[in-house]
Amino acid sequence: MNCEVCQLKELEVEHFEIREVLRCILHTIVFHRALGLVRPKDVDLELFEITYVQCGDVELEKKIDEKIDHFISWVEKHPNKKSQICLSFYEVKSKQPSWFTNKTERLYWEQWYVNLNVTQHPKHHSSKSHHTKLVVDPGESATEERSCRRAMVEASLREVLFQIIKFVNEKKDHVPPISEGVIYFPYEITIPRKFQ
Amino acid sequence: MEMDRESGKLEQIVSQFRSKILHVILDSRVPSLHHHHHQQQQESLSHSRVRKTDKWFNLVLGDRPPALENLNFSLRNLFDPMVIDIILVHRGSCSSSVDNLYSPSAPAAGPADETVIERWVVQYDCPRFIATPSGADASVSYKKIYKKSIILLRSLYTQMRLLPAYRIFKQLSSLSQTYNFDLVYKVSSFSHPFSREEESGMKEYIFAPVEALSGCLSVSVTYRATLSDFNLEPLVSLPPKIITDYVGSPTTDPMRSFPSSDKGAHATSFPLRGARPPSSSPFQRPHSWSSGFHRGFPSTKTQSLAGSPPVYRTSPKPYDIASPPTDLYGNRIQNQRVSTLQQVTAYDEYKSSPPFSPSASPSTPSYLSGTNPLLTRHCSETAPVTIPLPLTGRSTRYLSPNSSDPSRHSLPPLSPRSSKHDASSQESPSGIRSYRKIEALRAGESPSGLSNNYSAQKVVRDSKDDSGRFSALLSSSGSPRIGFSRSSSRLSFQDDMDDCEFSCPFDVDDVDVSDSSSQNTEGKKASEFTAQSNLVGKKSQDAAVGILVHMLRTAPPLRQDSSCYSTHSLRTEYEGGVSIASGFFMPRKTADALEELNSYREMKDLLLSKSGTRVVRKEEMK
Repeated sequence: MNCEVCQLKELEVEHFEIREVLRCILHTIVFHRALGLVRPKDVDLELFEITYVQCGDVELEKKIDEKIDHFISWVEKHPNKKSQICLSFYEVKSKQPSWFTNKTERLYWEQWYVNLNVTQHPKHHSSKSHHTKLVVDPGESATEERSCRRAMVEASLREVLFQIIKFVNEKKDHVPPISEGVIYFPYEITIPRKFQ
Repeated sequence: MEMDRESGKLEQIVSQFRSKILHVILDSRVPSLHHHHHQQQQESLSHSRVRKTDKWFNLVLGDRPPALENLNFSLRNLFDPMVIDIILVHRGSCSSSVDNLYSPSAPAAGPADETVIERWVVQYDCPRFIATPSGADASVSYKKIYKKSIILLRSLYTQMRLLPAYRIFKQLSSLSQTYNFDLVYKVSSFSHPFSREEESGMKEYIFAPVEALSGCLSVSVTYRATLSDFNLEPLVSLPPKIITDYVGSPTTDPMRSFPSSDKGAHATSFPLRGARPPSSSPFQRPHSWSSGFHRGFPSTKTQSLAGSPPVYRTSPKPYDIASPPTDLYGNRIQNQRVSTLQQVTAYDEYKSSPPFSPSASPSTPSYLSGTNPLLTRHCSETAPVTIPLPLTGRSTRYLSPNSSDPSRHSLPPLSPRSSKHDASSQESPSGIRSYRKIEALRAGESPSGLSNNYSAQKVVRDSKDDSGRFSALLSSSGSPRIGFSRSSSRLSFQDDMDDCEFSCPFDVDDVDVSDSSSQNTEGKKASEFTAQSNLVGKKSQDAAVGILVHMLRTAPPLRQDSSCYSTHSLRTEYEGGVSIASGFFMPRKTADALEELNSYREMKDLLLSKSGTRVVRKEEMK
């Protein structure tokens, strides 16, 4: 079984937008890979006029939030750097047991790379708050610039979501069979080493 | 045999797939169906039950709208495409929004533009015959098909929320405002081709087909890339507004007072029309039951005199004509579609919205209960006797002895129960309730017929009990008495009558005086009254006369007169009433008053002589 890789379009986001953007993207991917019985849950983004879908699993939501927190703290330590977060789906295969090893092996069959370029404008104060308020510059030009920028990010995010849908539709054969009682395939969220 | 079974499975998958897609689309595009579904989902979430239909494709969507079942039945031919058009209905600006709100079933006043903003096509192509695998291969194949269908549905579900039409759907789903547009749908097996102009503004997205064993399951969407061309704006509508100082319907008592309840007694008009010539019936005075009468008496709880009770004021129904109906599907009647497009199959279009049931009904203000002056009159000190107002015609007449007071006719009869409560409670809830029901009956609304009838009958029955006590009064004098009862909250006509009798200066009898206390207690027996109707009638006249005389005598200009007819203890009982009544006394010349007094005296003598009672004048006693 080959591992399908999808590199998502790079998004230029600000620090306070990371959480929402990542939540949107990661949950959308998982929703397409949670092929067990799900009760979809619509979530409206606060910063953008986009609604994405979660599969409604509380544990999953919690885990994703933890990973996002981890990512954000990494970004804070490495400001003004391109960053990447990887969502991988795997199958658990047990290795041939031997005297020395009895490990299970993970066979990755799909990997998604979310590329972010976290910008921090010198005018804006960066803090650990996830929803940092922007320092408002007097004048209309700053407001216009901000709204223009916001629209661009929204459009880019929308494009990324369409990209996910397209990928999910076009490549289906590599998806493993659905196991009884399993809601979503085993997954992991990591920050690739080259970015660490 | 096996092939049939296998093809049956495939057919089932395709059929359920079409139903599921339709469910997803309608749930994300048609506000009325979404509301219905959302409500059900709330219920189902609490019960955590998964329906059989939810299990298909592992996507829990809740109950399928009934429309879906009908459509499924009609579009059974799986090889026909299923075309779902999402149509934006845009009402013209010249249409009256108010008209539309109140007559949603009527066609919009202005032209309504209809534009297909999305077209979903679900198709199962079977171009060639493919040998159907059997056995384990077939099972694996169906599982794969099923898995791929699940993924396709997932992506469709996500896609629905990213297309431009979703924003409109969300706007319409918001119940806080109404708009000049609406979203409706049309399902058919035939797609009316777009015009060139329409096509120019549209984009297409084709989902990757799911290859089935003997065919190919495909879904595509053609949608308007932008909807900014449409003037989609909310209708200006006034939010429901509670009018705190609502004066009620025209039938409301215009003399009903409004808050200023702490001011105590108000000097209201208490016209003593005693200036009439004695020849005319002096007892037909409107003052007792006129609209202003009830306000004049101090009460422990003056709020009752203020008029409208809280329940009346806080009527939740908006009386503002511009307010929209409060129905959940208030503005969704436009979802009903009358198809004019060509159809191939038997089933054309489906009316998606539930029947509109305007909830804005003109609510009758509960002024009846709260503001009925007779109801609020009750107090322990100087409240006049609240004579019950039965539903009978007699009581109606009794209510308005003076026909010049039209407001009285509109008031419902007073529940005697409400008049029998303690002084501390100004309003009887049961009375209020019974009045509301009575009014509801009058208005033709009967929430629960039996109970309402019962309450109405009860009122009638109760009032009859009391009206019997006063029947003689009506027949004899035709005027209400002016007696005041301070002893109890009960209507004790007998008691008052006796008191009045004793206060009458010209018929005081030593014997009568001494027996006053005992007669007071006796007077509380209402059952004795009917047997003594005639006597009572006459006595009531005496009471009225006596009181009037007393008032005249104790009026400031007359107080110089040293003669005091009554030193009876009962006199104190009238002080309150007198003090109030004196406030209503119209200053006149002493000579006129004396003249009138004399005339009354003569009349009284005449009456008494007829009855054979010895007239004992105080003057003679001196």
